[in-house]
Amino acid sequence: MASPASANMNAVRETMDVLLEISRLLNTGLDMESLSICVRLCEQGINPEALSSVIKELRKASDSLKASENGTSQG
Amino acid sequence: MAHWSRFEKELELETRRLISHYTSIQDEEDQNFQMALKFAWSNFKFHRFLDANRHNVQRSINGIHEKLMVHSDLSKAESWLRLTEEFLSSPLPNTEGTKTEVHYSVLALLLNLSDSPSNTNYCERPRLKETEKEDKFDWAKYLMEGEDIDTGPFPDTPEWSEDESEEEDSQQPLSREDSGIQVDRTPQEDHEQNDKTIQVTWTVGEPDSRAWLEQHIVTSYWVPNSPRFPHSLHLHSNLYNVWDQHLYNTGPLYLPEEKSFVTETQVIRETLWLFSGVKKLFIFQLNDGKVTVRNDVVVTHLTNNCLHSVLEHIAAYGQAVTRLQKFIDEVTGHSAEPCPPGLNSSSSSSSKKSSDPPFRTYQAFVWALYKYFTSFKEELNTIEKDIIAKDETVTLSSVLERLSPHLAQITMLHRVFCTGVADVPPGTPNVLRASHLLNTLYKAIIEYDSVGEASEQSVSVALLFSLWVETVRPYLEIVDEWIVHGHLFDPAKEFIIQRNKDVPVNHRDFWYATYTLYSVSETVESEERLSDAASGSSGGEQASSSRQHTMVSFLKPVLKQIIMAGKSMQLLKNLDCKETEQPDDAERKSLYTLFLESVQTRLRHGEDSPTNTVTEQQATKKSLIKMQSIVARHLELDDIHDPLLAINFTRLYLEQNDFHEKFSGSNVILDRSSESVTCQTFELTLRSCLYPHIERRYIECCGNLMRTLKKDYMLLEYLQAMRNYFLLEAGDTMYDFYTAIFDKVLEKESWQQLAFLNVQLQEAVGQRHPEDSSRLSIFLETIDPARKKQPVNNLDGLTLSYKVPWPVDIVISSECQKIYNQVFLLLLQIKWAKYSLDTLRFSDLTVAAKRQEGGQSEESTAKEPINQQIHRMFLLRVKLMHFVNSLHNYIMTRVVSCHLHDDVHVIFDASIQVTVSLQVSFVKEAIMKVLNLVLIFSDRWQAGFGAWKIESIDKMESDFKNCHMFLVTILNKAVCRGSFPHCKSYSAVKYFYLVRMH
Repeated sequence: MASPASANMNAVRETMDVLLEISRLLNTGLDMESLSICVRLCEQGINPEALSSVIKELRKASDSLKASENGTSQG
Repeated sequence: MAHWSRFEKELELETRRLISHYTSIQDEEDQNFQMALKFAWSNFKFHRFLDANRHNVQRSINGIHEKLMVHSDLSKAESWLRLTEEFLSSPLPNTEGTKTEVHYSVLALLLNLSDSPSNTNYCERPRLKETEKEDKFDWAKYLMEGEDIDTGPFPDTPEWSEDESEEEDSQQPLSREDSGIQVDRTPQEDHEQNDKTIQVTWTVGEPDSRAWLEQHIVTSYWVPNSPRFPHSLHLHSNLYNVWDQHLYNTGPLYLPEEKSFVTETQVIRETLWLFSGVKKLFIFQLNDGKVTVRNDVVVTHLTNNCLHSVLEHIAAYGQAVTRLQKFIDEVTGHSAEPCPPGLNSSSSSSSKKSSDPPFRTYQAFVWALYKYFTSFKEELNTIEKDIIAKDETVTLSSVLERLSPHLAQITMLHRVFCTGVADVPPGTPNVLRASHLLNTLYKAIIEYDSVGEASEQSVSVALLFSLWVETVRPYLEIVDEWIVHGHLFDPAKEFIIQRNKDVPVNHRDFWYATYTLYSVSETVESEERLSDAASGSSGGEQASSSRQHTMVSFLKPVLKQIIMAGKSMQLLKNLDCKETEQPDDAERKSLYTLFLESVQTRLRHGEDSPTNTVTEQQATKKSLIKMQSIVARHLELDDIHDPLLAINFTRLYLEQNDFHEKFSGSNVILDRSSESVTCQTFELTLRSCLYPHIERRYIECCGNLMRTLKKDYMLLEYLQAMRNYFLLEAGDTMYDFYTAIFDKVLEKESWQQLAFLNVQLQEAVGQRHPEDSSRLSIFLETIDPARKKQPVNNLDGLTLSYKVPWPVDIVISSECQKIYNQVFLLLLQIKWAKYSLDTLRFSDLTVAAKRQEGGQSEESTAKEPINQQIHRMFLLRVKLMHFVNSLHNYIMTRVVSCHLHDDVHVIFDASIQVTVSLQVSFVKEAIMKVLNLVLIFSDRWQAGFGAWKIESIDKMESDFKNCHMFLVTILNKAVCRGSFPHCKSYSAVKYFYLVRMH
């Protein structure tokens, strides 16, 4: 068992915890999973503003989709 | 898209995840999904945003902080700054280094996504609280580092962990909950998951548990220069620093020293360890049995002096505990190596003290101590558990408060131990050690007992009493063995009475020289050896009165009984008579058991003396209890200590609490709480619980012995023989003997020839009692010539001796014969006086007078006529005869008339009573004077008229008159007063009457 690697894992987990706290404080509405996806995307060089706009759009679209689904199912 | 790089593939994967996460469309071929994917890709690739700028991000962070400060969201602002700072300095999964562009871009993303953190208070609050909770938890962890925390589950916030473990298991199997702490759950989960997960869980768990351990391990404060444990910066918890600072500021010469900081919990724990006998401690140090407090130990919230004054106090108790513990270890450690008792006892004096195994009294004492310490340690354990449980605040003072009754008891025990055991100089024989210990305990009980019924004292007395009861056990067992089986089994020589080895049982000295009584003088620890010759049968009181403050005090009142019973029993065993078979040993209760049972009965029923209360109580028990308690309270208020009342009250309370249940159990262990009643009247308890058993046994033993002696060994016959010859009861036989002597004396021949005397005796005895002739013999003792002056002492030195076979010679001993001889001599003297008066003939005097008349008429005419003188002589003779006859009658009837009593002692007492009464010196002197006068008179009479002067008649008359008057007055007074115990009043009256008639 490589202890540096595991120590790193542990540190990363700590980082993610902190990040989740920040996200909660800022009221971003991100959960742990989306947050980790976002972090990985950012690490791959995705522009944060672009990412944020995509997320916002996806939320909006998803909301409208759900609303329309609800509407159709109700209708 | 056929030639995508690996990077692009990963990007694509992540994007798909993002979309599926947000849109919850699982089917990637779905039209909407594809649309979303396209949209995302186009946005990612073809956007017009600038790259994330760290300065901008930092500015935004500061701006948000400022905004939060403006909104007075201080806690949120503080958390915000700290969290961002922490994040920026933390590593990211696939990025090396901290504070990289990626960090800032992630922050920028969050900032972009943020939905007005300051304004949305309503939705912020619960989340904010969580943040704060997280905060608090962090602090607590931080503060309590170095404390021993119970190994419970790691107190993470549950929501997160569930999120992690359930939702992210596939991605991040690094759940905190899998850190191996919840051992029970992990295997079940593992069972459901695949092998890989098991491995990952396990590997990740290790550092977690290590981290946990690191957090919870106690700071090694015992190591020099150990790291300081973190603690609160609150003023109250830094009193030491404040004071130190003050000293530093005010005193220019003040030099701060290196100190070891400990927490109060650590101090408490070390205190508990010290009390439970741990020897190697940091705060308390043990040097040569002395417990000292380390100087450089401080706690942050107390000043040095304050802490040390408390710790010194504890150290003193700790020292007592250590000392007692050491003693227990010494004694119990010895028993590990078995040593045959017989072997040891023979060589105990020569061998070293340390190699001697502890004797039974010490062992019993240690056992009692051990039992006490067990309960004490239970208490200590409870306290330690309380500390671990953390349900309540445990402070040093509260612990001391809680332990204070125990500590008082330990102080008392230590004091008893010091006086009773530790202060005894080495090399002291076991008997002194044992009896000294018992005495110390006894005195301590009496002492504490007399202090009164104060609540703490009564507990102490109860403890002492239980200690005493335990410690006394070997002694009582020895006594029991002795008085029941006649076997003084005491291999370690600890009992106050010890057998002299060289005297066999069937020797005539057995009764008088077999046992040695050791006694401990209280003032000086010197050893006194008192042979119990005196305490054998008659003179026990004299011996015991000379040693007032010696011996084992509690046995003193029954010591004589014990000795007598023991010796009787041993003798009986050796006489091997069938009738005195003991009941089966299995059925028989030992003395110790009997004693315990009596104590219990006494505890149950209290005393019998206040019977009124008991009956009343039965009638109206409830009201009485109420009344008594009120009275008791009043008594307390008035500060009255009335033991009898207190006993009654306590008994009432005892009956209230199911006291019977406590004691109905089969084992005979005494409950300490209830013993205060007994201890109140400790001596009374002994008197009613212990002594009667010994007394009963004594009576039984001695009765048995007496019966055996009478039945199988003809004791009574021998006694009758003694009376026959010494007390002249066999009048005709003895008459032959003594008249032969008297005749010789009258004829002025020498009678002091052994051969002549023996022949006379054998002739006289052989005719009528041939069986005794071989036993009887006569001796002449040489007496100092000073006593021979008086004619009445002429017979002194004549000693009869009667050979009594063993074992009857125990009763009729040589001492006893000596007294018999005194009586014999007195009787002979009276007989002689009577004989010499009886043998006087009137003719002797008248014939001589007639012869005288012719020769010396002128002389006689000058004085009185001769006839008148002769008449005076006759008169005097009659007076003397009357006196001697009354005396003779009185004494002989007293002697002869005392018929056979059952008890040898009574017989003996009765027969010597006369002598003793005559021993009363002045009476005896007067009687002796008269007897002397009689002899002189008869001498002169026989010498004939004219051989003496007329004045001598006057003198004899006046002498007799004086003596007579004296006796009359004395006896008169004695009879009136009734204080002449040796003369039975009727005899005295008789005598008195006879004499006065004259």
